[in-house]
Amino acid sequence: MDYVENRMAQEAAKPTPSPEVQTIATPINLILVSLLIYVLYRSLSPSKSAPLPLAPAPVVFRTFTPPTLLPYNGTSDMPVYLAVRGRVFDVTSGRNFYGPGGPYENFAGRDASRGLACGSFDEEMLTKDLQGPLDTLDGLGDEEMEAMRGWEERFEEKYLVVGRLVAVGDEEKQGNGE
Amino acid sequence: MGLDNMMLKLDETVTGIFAEWDIYTTTITVIIITFFAYQIFTSRDPDAHPMLLARQAQASPVRQPGESAVFRSHSAPHGIPLNSGLNIKDPGDSKWARGRDGDLRDVWRRVISGGLDRDGKETGELGSIMTVMGTENIIKHDLADITRQINLIGQHIKENGGNNVAIYLPNSIEFLATLFACAFYDLTAILVPYDQSTEDIISLLHKSKADSVIAAVGSFPFDVVTKSYPDLQQLIWVVDEGSRHMDWNEVPKGTGGAVNVSTWSEIIQDQESNAGAELPAVERTSELKNIIGFWPSGEMIRYTHANLIAGIAGQLTSVPTTQRITNADLFLPADSLTTLYPLVLTLSALFSNATVALNSVAGRTPDIVMATQGIAPTIIVASSATLVKTHSETSDKMNSSMYRLVHWFQTRSLVVHGVMPLATIFSRLFDNLRPIIGTMPGKLRLIFTSSQAGSDSTPLSTETLQDLRIYLGARIIYALTAPKVAGAVTQTSIYDYRGDTGTEKCSHFGVPVTSVEIFCRDTKEQKTTDEAPAGEIIARGPAVVGGEASIGVVGKIQADHTLALL
Repeated sequence: MDYVENRMAQEAAKPTPSPEVQTIATPINLILVSLLIYVLYRSLSPSKSAPLPLAPAPVVFRTFTPPTLLPYNGTSDMPVYLAVRGRVFDVTSGRNFYGPGGPYENFAGRDASRGLACGSFDEEMLTKDLQGPLDTLDGLGDEEMEAMRGWEERFEEKYLVVGRLVAVGDEEKQGNGE
Repeated sequence: MGLDNMMLKLDETVTGIFAEWDIYTTTITVIIITFFAYQIFTSRDPDAHPMLLARQAQASPVRQPGESAVFRSHSAPHGIPLNSGLNIKDPGDSKWARGRDGDLRDVWRRVISGGLDRDGKETGELGSIMTVMGTENIIKHDLADITRQINLIGQHIKENGGNNVAIYLPNSIEFLATLFACAFYDLTAILVPYDQSTEDIISLLHKSKADSVIAAVGSFPFDVVTKSYPDLQQLIWVVDEGSRHMDWNEVPKGTGGAVNVSTWSEIIQDQESNAGAELPAVERTSELKNIIGFWPSGEMIRYTHANLIAGIAGQLTSVPTTQRITNADLFLPADSLTTLYPLVLTLSALFSNATVALNSVAGRTPDIVMATQGIAPTIIVASSATLVKTHSETSDKMNSSMYRLVHWFQTRSLVVHGVMPLATIFSRLFDNLRPIIGTMPGKLRLIFTSSQAGSDSTPLSTETLQDLRIYLGARIIYALTAPKVAGAVTQTSIYDYRGDTGTEKCSHFGVPVTSVEIFCRDTKEQKTTDEAPAGEIIARGPAVVGGEASIGVVGKIQADHTLALL
């Protein structure tokens, strides 16, 4: 309170400035004018709209052969692909099932048609010879083909078709439109 | 002690500054506060959220090598089929049945039955069709009478063995009636562009193999045409009221004796008044004939009814629901109906039970004021050449510096705030310089305009479109049309007022309509990379003749997924 009283007495003792000394360009005026100019500049200058980040680039549809499909089994940061009846599906979103350590990991990077038809994940469902022709699915009855079609439909709804699978040496042949 | 001194000095400085508060300081403070208050009270929400404008089409997740991803409108996303029809349910169908696509006959049936609400019950909203003659004379047509004309004309042509009917008329009710008559009575309609030289008409008739012609009287020399085109079998003159007393059936001696000449009004009056009141019944299995259109390049394209209906369906669904054509709208095509885009829009307006006004001057004059006189349209279709002319005339008139300031503020409201500018006291000062569209200013709310791909018609730049929105006070939709696609290939969003998109010469063309999907195919110069699709534009869908066709131009898809031509 002491301090306040002293300050007030100090200010009161100052002489009032005579009118002719007053100028427009007092510091407070200059501060406020610069504030006004800044506000006008910010609101009237054209503002760039923030662009959305680019969507992920679309995957290019590829023709795979069994050897080139094999690396896509989820190891070393690769996406997980599997093939059903000549169509390659990107099942990376189902990594827990088809990726490494999952129950169906044998299907990753391979032709899973026979395995899905018979409902088995054994090694013997996969084609052994990667350089040979594709599994022609002979020896499978109607029930198994039904089951495989059911699986294929489910895959079509959940996963994206990113390529087609042909045997080694058949890359140049045109596919059947899929 | 040091801190005490510093605080004392600080106190003295701050008090000293504020001690010099005077009247000017108060003024400046009031100005700052008023500015903030004005910004808050006059701020308006943008018409479309900027995030929606930043990504307007959907790209497919997979692309074929050598091509780009396939782009579709958000209203027809990947995974569901493209919008191909009008969802027509016949009486007797269950409410949950999926309607059929329909054809032009169903468009006319919807016109005479009135609007349907969501449950399929009739709402009783009937549109109407008017012909505007000059500024004083507006004729409203009775829909039952037009149905009668459709029936009688169709039966007459069919009975006389006609198959390919060439329509050489300006925009008029007879044009629409003949088009629907060809749909109901299984005839091929040939839309011949109006106002051409005789040699051009003859070559077009040869190309399309027309055997009947419906023409406005005096529009082409009868003897020259019959001599050069002997395949002509029937000719129906459309005579205006003033000349009906003359005998137009008289064929000059020595000319075309094999041609069956009659007039429209005679065909209608010769029958009893209750003949032709009923349209042929609904039959879903008949194979309909095509509709042949000609493009300015001379190309002749055969459109099926399915193509046209898909074009109409695309137009009906590509505009947000609140802005669609409704019963309360007055639609005026200010461009010739032989161009396919105005025709598809006119049919969409008829299907939406709007009031459609026809003006026979439309398409023959580039002056928009003359094409819209006598009536107050809310939606018009104009060619880009007409709009370019309007823009250059208006900007020449309105170039005072006072107006430039007003224009700058209105452009800011359009581009920065994303709303259509309001009419203020300052802008009303210049109202008499604006182009007068229709009899009541302020009614016009939407303008459809198009540019044809590959032709050298004048493109509209982004700046021109912005200026036109301000001059005319209406929103503008800019479409890209191509010969092989019925309706538009791509169209800008109705709320897209941005200024920094497209190339300098030409605005961007927006996103595909819901009945078309587009992709880019690599050419030698333009290849698609992971970031930027570019190449020759190919369109696919039910509105494309043959299912898939190239537009004929090279373009690129920008970051906001709109199409820009290169």
